[in-house]
Amino acid sequence: MDAADFVNLLVSALLLAGIYAAMSVGMTIIYGVMKIVNLAHAGFLMLGAYYVLELHERLNIDPLVGSVLAFPVFLLAGMLVHWTLVKRIPVSDQPTLASLLLMFGLWLVLQNIGYLIWGSSDRSILTSRTLSSMHLGPITIPTVRVIVFIPAVCSLGLLEFVLRKTWYGRAVRALMQNRYAGRLAGIPVEKMARLTFGVGIGFAGAAGGLLAQLYSFSPDFGHGFLLRSFVIIVLGGLESFWGAAAGALVLALVETFSILVLPAGYQPAIAFSLLVLALVLLPGGIAGIFAKKHRWA
Amino acid sequence: MKMKWLSALALVGLLLAGFGAPNATSNPAAVAAKDIPVGVVLPLTGREAKPGQFQKEGIELAIKQINEKGGIFVRELNQKLQLREVFYDDGSDQAKSAGLAERAMSSDDVVAVLGGYSTALGEAESVMPDRYQTPWITTGAAATSIFNRGYQWIFGTLSPVDLLGYTTAEFLGTLVDTGKLRKGLKVALALENTDHGVDYGNGIKKWIQERGGYFTVVFSESFDLGSPDFSGLLQKVKNAHADIFLADAHLQDYITMHRQYVQAGLHHTMISYGARGPETDARKALGDATDYIFAGIWWSKNLPYPQVKKFVDDYKGFTGREPDSWYAATAYEAVRGLAAAIEKGGALKKATIRDEMRKLDLRESLLPGQVLRFGKGGQVDTPFVIVQNKPGGRVDLVYPKDAANGEAVVPPAAQK
Repeated sequence: MDAADFVNLLVSALLLAGIYAAMSVGMTIIYGVMKIVNLAHAGFLMLGAYYVLELHERLNIDPLVGSVLAFPVFLLAGMLVHWTLVKRIPVSDQPTLASLLLMFGLWLVLQNIGYLIWGSSDRSILTSRTLSSMHLGPITIPTVRVIVFIPAVCSLGLLEFVLRKTWYGRAVRALMQNRYAGRLAGIPVEKMARLTFGVGIGFAGAAGGLLAQLYSFSPDFGHGFLLRSFVIIVLGGLESFWGAAAGALVLALVETFSILVLPAGYQPAIAFSLLVLALVLLPGGIAGIFAKKHRWA
Repeated sequence: MKMKWLSALALVGLLLAGFGAPNATSNPAAVAAKDIPVGVVLPLTGREAKPGQFQKEGIELAIKQINEKGGIFVRELNQKLQLREVFYDDGSDQAKSAGLAERAMSSDDVVAVLGGYSTALGEAESVMPDRYQTPWITTGAAATSIFNRGYQWIFGTLSPVDLLGYTTAEFLGTLVDTGKLRKGLKVALALENTDHGVDYGNGIKKWIQERGGYFTVVFSESFDLGSPDFSGLLQKVKNAHADIFLADAHLQDYITMHRQYVQAGLHHTMISYGARGPETDARKALGDATDYIFAGIWWSKNLPYPQVKKFVDDYKGFTGREPDSWYAATAYEAVRGLAAAIEKGGALKKATIRDEMRKLDLRESLLPGQVLRFGKGGQVDTPFVIVQNKPGGRVDLVYPKDAANGEAVVPPAAQK
């Protein structure tokens, strides 16, 4: 492998990491505040993809703008789901069977809604930038990946700003550290949980819109990304946003570079192996390594 | 209390979703003595939903046409009986597919089961027919491994995939012979990690070995079915510096891989994704980027047979659109074959039907060669045809010569 190939792969991994991080941050925030493993995440990714497709096909709205518009719509949808379903689950410090079943059932319902509305055809968004690429000497970068990477990273930066500089963000971080202490300090836990669930789903919808620009999709869309999201948040340490970003980077780098030594057919095993390794060797995730020196969450 | 209700509801939902409820046509209570129940297990949801839908349409068209003529004459009953479809959606899930085939054979008392698209799902179903001694005709699984296990109750209307690989290489060989390609070109293979992919690669390598000097395989690797990202694999393909890129992929993987292929700026003189290429979904998703891709398929609507023209017209009348690639035709032929076997045997005994299927010699078949005949292992051995996408959404049948309605074209960009 020459230097150009190496840089090609590195750029590819970095671009992939950005979208992986945006895709998994919604799961992280929901788990952090409510200890709910959002198995319906894949369903909202799928709906986000179709939402952006519909905006593009019916109203001729650019998919990138559509992804941004998806955030508030899915935020409200998430709050509605919380208000009607999730708030009925007993509060716990650990993920419960009831929450797993509920979210899994919701995923199946979303999938079937998808089949009812859009049928089973593979759909995709074709724009002028879909098949174009940029050439920097011997390095080839797909334009659409760069276009998708920018809002993905910007959304993470915006989330970090909100978490650090706003009352909402401080409240979220407090609840992630200790829900009961947060309540004693006067944080309206129920309202915060509803809003945070909405934010998590908002991120899932927007990430689905971004993914729709990269991949074809059907109502079955999202399985593979759900597994990757699990790996990323476990690698990151479950409750840390920057941990999740670091997890996304690690997964993208390992997936991309492992192809040099492993046949492509083994690629799914890489994510599973990382999950097992993280659980055995890094139970606190990447964030846990730095926890003693600096609080990441 | 509310939580218990929620959990119970969720469990019921999961069970329903997991095992799949049959549609109205499959209600066992509706079983009447005066019809012939035929099980159909195909994916209408999940990643194989689209081809599954096309195959279901082919089956239902054939059943409709047979029933409109009064049904099938069963000699031992001295009457004509109508075919009745007992349909199950396997959701593109292997375990579910096997379970539903088992259910059709054991509980629904069908005389035969059709279905099993694709190879992965067909393989899962293929263990059931001998267990329940019920004829099973796969309309969409072609891997030779299914038919080489000595099963006695299985049949298939798709020719072996190694023949697809062999025909693909043979077609490229004709382009060398006619001066459109030069001898000694390098070939890169990307194969899905299923028996389908293995057979395809073996077929290509077999032809290349038999005809030394035509091509050299410089890269061959398998990839995971349904992978969202092929950039690493494509980087390896790029590094192989091959002239021809031959992949064996299912529809969704074809769309994803070719999109990333174009984004990565790859160029090859000739490109194929095995049996995929002309599908409408792919052309919509990728636009002009699918031009000049060629595919080896089991059937084409451009075959110059009168029965094919009639089938295309009938299918259009039935569904409102023309057949998309080969999917509906092989399913349609499976029903015709089954109906002919029942009529010839004159009985609804499964063993009689199986024996008649083995002896079947159905003329005016839609398939290339116009004869539906099951070989030793139960699989047909009809030739493949090669089609090529042309600009403007056209698809030409380009090989074999005697059936072609267009010329094979080496893409203008590749000739520069």
